[in-house]
Amino acid sequence: MPVNKLKTLYFSVLLAFMSLLLPWSQTALLVRPDFMLLVLIFWLIRAPNLCNVGTAWMLGLLVDLAAGMVFGQYALAYTVTAFFAVTYQRRLVLFTGVQQLLYVFSLLLISQVMLLIIKTFAGGQFIGWLYFLPSLSGVMLWLLAVGLGLNTGGRGRAN
Amino acid sequence: MARHLYNKIEQQQAPAFFVRGPSPFARLAFFSVLSLALMASDSRLQYLASMRQSLQTLLHPLQLLANAPSQLYLNTTEYFSTHDTLLSENQQLKKRDLMQSIALQKLNLLAVENAHMRVLLAAQAALKESSVAAEIMHVGRDPFTRKVLINRGQNHKILPGMAVVDAAGVIGQVTRVYPLSSEVTLITDTSLAMPVQIERNGLRAIAFGHGRDSTVDLPYLPANVDIKRGDRLVTSGIDGVYPAGLAVATVKQIVSAADTPFARIVCEPAGGVENHRQVLVVSKPQLGSITAPSLTQPVKLGLTQAKSADKKQSMPNKSVKPRDAHAR
Repeated sequence: MPVNKLKTLYFSVLLAFMSLLLPWSQTALLVRPDFMLLVLIFWLIRAPNLCNVGTAWMLGLLVDLAAGMVFGQYALAYTVTAFFAVTYQRRLVLFTGVQQLLYVFSLLLISQVMLLIIKTFAGGQFIGWLYFLPSLSGVMLWLLAVGLGLNTGGRGRAN
Repeated sequence: MARHLYNKIEQQQAPAFFVRGPSPFARLAFFSVLSLALMASDSRLQYLASMRQSLQTLLHPLQLLANAPSQLYLNTTEYFSTHDTLLSENQQLKKRDLMQSIALQKLNLLAVENAHMRVLLAAQAALKESSVAAEIMHVGRDPFTRKVLINRGQNHKILPGMAVVDAAGVIGQVTRVYPLSSEVTLITDTSLAMPVQIERNGLRAIAFGHGRDSTVDLPYLPANVDIKRGDRLVTSGIDGVYPAGLAVATVKQIVSAADTPFARIVCEPAGGVENHRQVLVVSKPQLGSITAPSLTQPVKLGLTQAKSADKKQSMPNKSVKPRDAHAR
C-alpha cells in the first residue's frame, strides 16, 4: 500500500474537516459545499482500496459531531452515497468529463436527499429548494479542481 | 460447516479485481443498521450525551484553529479603525452612559422602594438571577435547525435551560452544554417555545419559533384576540426559566382567515437573533432578596424600614413560600 497516498488521504480529510469547521454564516452557510463528501467521493473513485463504505460511515459520524446533530444522520447519508460511488466506480473509467460531473452531482444529490428524508422523519421541515444549493456549489468546486489539474480518473486521462 | 461457509465466501470474492473484503452491499446494510441504531439511541435514550461531550472537548482546539482567521481579520480591522470613528463612538458611549446612569439611579431608588413595599405586603421576595457574558463562536451547521455555539460552557457554570439575551432582547435558550462551549437554540427554531406576555394588556401566550424565515409565531389564540400590530411581547416569567420582562418580539402581522378559529400572528424577534456576537447567559431566577451593593444602603427610608421590620415580625413565616425555580 502506498504510504504516500495514505498520508495525502488523511491530510485531505483533515483539510476538508477544517473547512467544515470555519465559521460559515447566513448566505455562505447556504451555499457551502459539502467538502467532506467531495473529498470522500474523490478517494472512493481514485483509491477504492484505501477507503470504503466504512470510511464514509466514520467520516459521517465526524460531521455529525461537528454539526451537533443526532449521531448517525450524516453517517447514514454518507454510507448510502458511498455505496453508489463504489458500485459504479469501475464503470467510471469509460466516463467522459461531463458524464463524470453528472455522476458526482447525482452522488451529492443522493446524500442531500437522504439527509432530507432522515430529517423529515425526525420532525424537521423542508427549508425550500435552496436546500440543494450545496450540491451545485459542490459540482462547481469539483469542476474547479479538475480545471486546476486534479486527476479524477475518467477517459482521456493518464490513469 | 465452517469450511463450507469459508469456501462460499471465497467464491464470492473470486471475481473481484483485487481483494475487497465483504461486498459493498453487505457493508451498506451493516453500516445503515448501525447508523439507525445510533440515531435511535442518541435521540431517544440519551446514552451518548457524555460521549458527545468528551468528543466535543477534543474538537474544541480544532474549532478554535478554524475560527482563528476570521478572529484575526476582526482584530486587525478593529486595530486599524480610524481615530475619528473611535472618537465619535466614545462620545456616543459617554452620552449613553450618562443617560443610563441616571436611569440606574432611579432604578435603585425604585428597587429599594419595591423591596420595602413587598415586605409591607408580606409578598415573597423578587426572584434574582446571575449572568455570564459570552461570545458567539459560530452559527449551527445543521440547515434544519436554528442554533448557535457560544464560548462558555460547563466550566463557566452554564447549565442547560438558561436563557440567552443580547442588548435588545431574548435570543434563545441553552440546550446542550459542553465543557468549554454550549449550544443555544434560537427563538426562531421550531422546537423552542417560550411563555410571553403582551406588554400593553398583560395577555399571556406562548411564542413558537417559525423556523424557515426568522420569525416567531403566536398560535392557538382566537381570531378576535386583543393584539395589534406593533405590540411588544415580553417574557412573562411564569415558567421559572426566563426572567420576567425581557423583550422577545414585536407583532408584525395579524391574519385571521375564515377557515380557522385561530389568528395567525407573526412576530419579529426583538433581539438581534442573527447579527450580534456578544450575548449574556442568564441563569434561572432564584429566590432571594436583591443584594446588589448599591441597593443595600437605602436612601432616606429609615422610617419605612423600621415599620416594615415591625410588620415582618408580627407576621412570622406566613409569607415564606419557596417557589420551585426549576421548570423541568
